[in-house]
Amino acid sequence: MLTTARRGVAVMLVMLLAASASPAHAQTGDALIFAAASLKNALDEVAAQYRKDTGKAVKISYGASSALAKQIEAGAPADIFISADLDWMDYVAQRHLIVSDTRKNILGNRLVLVAPKDDPVEVRVVPNFPLAGLLKGGKLAMADTSAVPAGKYGKAALEKLDVWPSVSGSIAQGENVRAALALVSRKEAPFGIVYQTDAAADANVRIAGVFPEDTHPPIIYPIARVADSKNPDAARLLAYIEAPKAAPAFEQQGFTILK
Amino acid sequence: MDWSQVLEFSEAEVIAIGLSLKVATWAVAVSLPFGVVAALLLARGRFFGRNALDVLVHLPLILPPVVTGYVLLLLFGRHGPLGQLFEHAIGLVFAFRWTGAALASGVMGFPLLVRAIRLSIEAVDPRLEEAAGTLGAGPVWVFFTVTLPLILPGVIAGTILAFARSLGEFGATITFVSNIPGETQTLPTAIYVFTQVPGGDAGALRLTLVSVVISVAALAISEFVARRASRRVFGT
Repeated sequence: MLTTARRGVAVMLVMLLAASASPAHAQTGDALIFAAASLKNALDEVAAQYRKDTGKAVKISYGASSALAKQIEAGAPADIFISADLDWMDYVAQRHLIVSDTRKNILGNRLVLVAPKDDPVEVRVVPNFPLAGLLKGGKLAMADTSAVPAGKYGKAALEKLDVWPSVSGSIAQGENVRAALALVSRKEAPFGIVYQTDAAADANVRIAGVFPEDTHPPIIYPIARVADSKNPDAARLLAYIEAPKAAPAFEQQGFTILK
Repeated sequence: MDWSQVLEFSEAEVIAIGLSLKVATWAVAVSLPFGVVAALLLARGRFFGRNALDVLVHLPLILPPVVTGYVLLLLFGRHGPLGQLFEHAIGLVFAFRWTGAALASGVMGFPLLVRAIRLSIEAVDPRLEEAAGTLGAGPVWVFFTVTLPLILPGVIAGTILAFARSLGEFGATITFVSNIPGETQTLPTAIYVFTQVPGGDAGALRLTLVSVVISVAALAISEFVARRASRRVFGT
């Protein structure tokens, strides 16, 4: 004989278990893209277009390309991988985790120095430019400089310009480029190094300076289909992302389309 | 911030909320029997390895959550020994699935569950069980008809604690099963993602409010149920 209390608990448990059996299962069968964090706004737009054109929903997991590559290595069920640099695509390619003839370089980007929107400072990014002085004791927000593409490009550029030694002790490293962007956006850091597309996506930051392209390896986003992908839509989705129809969504954010 | 948008939940947010509830429910439902057994063993058992069990049960409470998540990845990941065992034996995959999120939540909440139940067990007068025994009841029957009703307030408290812990579980979850919308993007992960999206503060705030409401509701229900159970058992 159940008391009211026990009956109440039993009913709640049954309801929750029953409710949990259904909803999220509608998501299985959707293609899953693992994409570099900087692609968020543009790729969301392309996915929305894809859904309108084909009726198929797409799931996208954004993160640092380094973290995503490691997850794919650990068996994550991604169908497509878009990295922010060639190194991490090479990493998964070497481990035979992608279908090599689907690999293609699709987008380019620029590296910029950003500041909160209220700061009117203009910085000429030249060798030995006085970044340490400009920080005035604050932090330079960057993505993790040892693994995340945006951090690696940033560190390479600062090293080439001979500025790295003076600022290396003042870096606030975020787990991906958008985390670094958020720090500057919230005025927690006076400067940050992000992509020009990130600056375009956030109204609370402005570009204070642009890194010359010869200070860092070319910023190239390769795309590929993941070898273990079992989703029949993956190939069509890949083609859609590469097609001219998707180009405006990327160009609007400031990406360059690579031929 | 645009206040008119504040209470409009996007599809991603609704999915995150539903997923969190589903993960927390399964985590607690599956870990409950193990929790009761572990609590019994620790409260009453005198066996070789009892202290080791005590330490093992409490590890997720004191280790950094990321460490627990990493250990789970090593053991239950696609290439891990237990992960492969489960996949080949019963087709259960944990890596990058909601089942993995439930496992992470269950493990992180387990010490809280066991502690609460164990305290309750230790408060039970063993002579009541002995009395039942002298009246002819076997040990299993004694457990279900004498012990369990007496420890019910503790079981309920432990369950609610584990459920709330599960809803807030982030470090182990994101390390073990990462952040896949609809599969492993639970409430805390979704909030974290929103803090990195320009203009995502409204979404982060909404989900934070939902977390608070669910937690407060869980606490209130647990208080109510525990008090009713307590009154029935102890008359006060």
